[in-house]
Amino acid sequence: MTVLALRDVTVTARIAGQDIALLRRVSLDLKAGRVLAVVGESGAGKSMLGRLISRLLPDGFRVSAGSMTFEGTDLLALPADQARDLLGRRIAFIPQEPSAALDPVRSIGWQWDQHLARLRVPRGGRQARAAAALTEVGLRDPAGVLRRYPHQLSGGECQRVLIALAFSSNPSLVVADEPTTALDVTTQATIAALLRRMQEAHGTAVLFITHDLRLAREVCDDAIVMYAGDPVERGPAPALFAKPAHPYARALLLANPRLTGPRLALRPLPDTMAGPLSFAKTPGCRFAGRCPVADPACASAAPSWRSIGEGHDVACSPACSLGATSLAAPLLAGPPARGAPILTVRGLGKSYGGGWGRKLFTALEPLDLEIAPGEIVGVVGESGSGKSTLARLLVGLERPTVGSMALDGVDMTQATAANDARRRAALQMVFQNPQSALNPRRTVMELVTQSMEAAGACMAARKARAGELLRATGLSPELGDRFPFQLSGGQRQRVNIARALCAVPRILLADEIVSGLDVSVQAQLLNLLLQLRDQTGVAILLISHDLSVVRYLCDRVLVLHRGRLMESASAVDLFAKPSSDYTRALLDACPPDPPLSAEGVTA
Amino acid sequence: MSAPKRPRAPMPLQGLLGMVLVVALVIVALAAPWIAPMPPNEMDLLSVLAPPDGYGSPHWLGTDALGRDVLSRLVWGARIALAVAVGGAVGAAVVGTILGLAAGALGGPVDWAISRLVDLWMSFPPVVLSLLLVVALGAGLGNVIFAIILVDWTRFCRVIRAEALVIRQQDYVSAARLIGFGRMRVILREIVPGVIPTLVTLFALEMGIAVRVEAVLSFVGMSVPADVPAWGQMIADARSSMTSAPWTILAPIGAIVAVVIGFNLLGDGLRLRFDPRLQGRS
Repeated sequence: MTVLALRDVTVTARIAGQDIALLRRVSLDLKAGRVLAVVGESGAGKSMLGRLISRLLPDGFRVSAGSMTFEGTDLLALPADQARDLLGRRIAFIPQEPSAALDPVRSIGWQWDQHLARLRVPRGGRQARAAAALTEVGLRDPAGVLRRYPHQLSGGECQRVLIALAFSSNPSLVVADEPTTALDVTTQATIAALLRRMQEAHGTAVLFITHDLRLAREVCDDAIVMYAGDPVERGPAPALFAKPAHPYARALLLANPRLTGPRLALRPLPDTMAGPLSFAKTPGCRFAGRCPVADPACASAAPSWRSIGEGHDVACSPACSLGATSLAAPLLAGPPARGAPILTVRGLGKSYGGGWGRKLFTALEPLDLEIAPGEIVGVVGESGSGKSTLARLLVGLERPTVGSMALDGVDMTQATAANDARRRAALQMVFQNPQSALNPRRTVMELVTQSMEAAGACMAARKARAGELLRATGLSPELGDRFPFQLSGGQRQRVNIARALCAVPRILLADEIVSGLDVSVQAQLLNLLLQLRDQTGVAILLISHDLSVVRYLCDRVLVLHRGRLMESASAVDLFAKPSSDYTRALLDACPPDPPLSAEGVTA
Repeated sequence: MSAPKRPRAPMPLQGLLGMVLVVALVIVALAAPWIAPMPPNEMDLLSVLAPPDGYGSPHWLGTDALGRDVLSRLVWGARIALAVAVGGAVGAAVVGTILGLAAGALGGPVDWAISRLVDLWMSFPPVVLSLLLVVALGAGLGNVIFAIILVDWTRFCRVIRAEALVIRQQDYVSAARLIGFGRMRVILREIVPGVIPTLVTLFALEMGIAVRVEAVLSFVGMSVPADVPAWGQMIADARSSMTSAPWTILAPIGAIVAVVIGFNLLGDGLRLRFDPRLQGRS
């Protein structure tokens, strides 16, 4: 039985004086007991689907064509009060940010009480019902959880509570918008498995909105790939991810670094997804501008759906030579030969508190680390593992409590002016959040040459250097006059890298620099780092929570857990035969790679 | 986007209205000798308490109990209001901003000392403090401005300190330090540009506050000498005649209200215009 059916739904918004279709002719069928993934990068319109169902379209957005039915009822024509009755009862939602979705000043029990009161559960039965629901989602002490407040629970526990809330009314449809994105890797896996288990137990239909292809393949029965408001391919998840037909779906798959098999070079798409303002100018396929196999007709005529297998359809021009873009990719070259280490760290650690009866908190237990020229060293860990503390210690934003650091064999543990200058010359940092790392009131040119400003260089020299740096990081030199808010996320991160490179450091410290970015942009930046290493011989310390990123880039990997070094090994050894239990758990938590068809591994 | 500009939102309507009121005040104050129909202290004893525009009389807004032209006194009073507004706000802004930046950007013991000083300062009732100061220093325009600065610098200090603290947490400040910016350069190049929108807004609001404080002080006769017309003084003079000649009290009150509202609207408008959440939207 079809629970949710969309027929050619088009959502239009008025932006800068023109009507722009932010969702174009979206059709889907979600049957009871199935999980449908909506996959796409940011700007694909996948969250708009969730908002459409929950009637939370922003002001000025409207459905201009198509129909949406839920169990036979026309959702678009339904009066507001009846829709409200449906939402949260027959249609439940699981949010992206679990801790923000719960009221911080009310106990979990109070929030359950409200929800169950709405479901007309008699007062006396609510406590037991809530406790039973919490037990079902694997929370061990349900009575204790009900007494607590959201801030006293971890992100994973909050998400469990929300999943239990969503399923407590036995809804026909659950809409989960990126339910695991805000969580740690190991938590992600358990939450995804829980969601699947609950869905099976209740026979619910789930609309699973995600940017993560691995997860979609692992959790879902069917999938729809979206690009810039257009659905481009739909079908059963195993078929779609094994043999993607649309050039964008293929590119997306190729942009994800793999966790197993040979290390294949990523082939990122050029540029980034065009913004809504350009949609009006593209009546045809919105992907045409970035498509490696597009012909001139693609941009003018909207592609029609074609069946390419059992329930597997693709919206691409019939003339498109599908399969001409093989999934083949060249192997990555091995690490270059290296010399004596630049940076030597011995027993470096950091703890806070400890005095006046305050509890001692060890953020980082003593560890050793060496970085040689041209080497890429990865530091992996979940939140609270101490990986960011390590970065801050190395660049001197924090002082270590124990241990020593030496540059080229000369000690620089003491914070003297001379040591700071030496450290600055050798080590530069790229910050995680490009938004906050770039002063919004400075132009790109001023930003990338900040270190020359510190040295008192003249404007002409800075302009020239800025041009070089922007080209080296794959940006157009014309961007020099722009302000950060006028750039895309990927461009901002490139500016961030360019600034760190300005003073020609020998070690680049990259702290989660791709974590907020889309996979296709992530692939571009990872390749940029490799290219910079190969051209300039700069060593890179890459801090990341993403094992596939670390495997793709790094020669050596350190695994941190709760401030302690669990394992330090070459990347090959670590992924082939991890020696610590924690590393194994981390690897197991990652959904497996989508299979590459035979043509892909050769070449 | 062909020519990128500094991010700015357009000035909202209320800000424009405030700007009109403030510009009007400035023009009237600067041009007082030419605008005022007669000398502010000239007593027309034949037409005492003449009502506004009474049958072709030269007194458009009437006269007060001593036969002085209300409109002329109002126009001359604008000079005092403007002098106090600008002098008080500039002084308070300079003192408060320097101390606020020092506290917010340097942190540690400097922050502690300045913050405790502000707490202590703000625990005095402001009206009593300014009255005390003027009594101690003696009346006069300069001393009134000085008193306003001494009372109101804390407002700037608190807000600017909070703002500087927020900016100091931003990664771009850490980035500047790692790149080799000295402490002074970090403050001047990274933190100060970030607090300027707040500063401009506070400055506009402070001008309104200064006008109010001056009115209070001249009402109790602690401001300018009696022969200099000021709005607070006009209110004080009109107390005895306000029931029979309400224009004598309504005119200065109206002037004060209009100017203070003007400064507040301008401040609100500037705040909206500089609000970073409104930036970045194309």
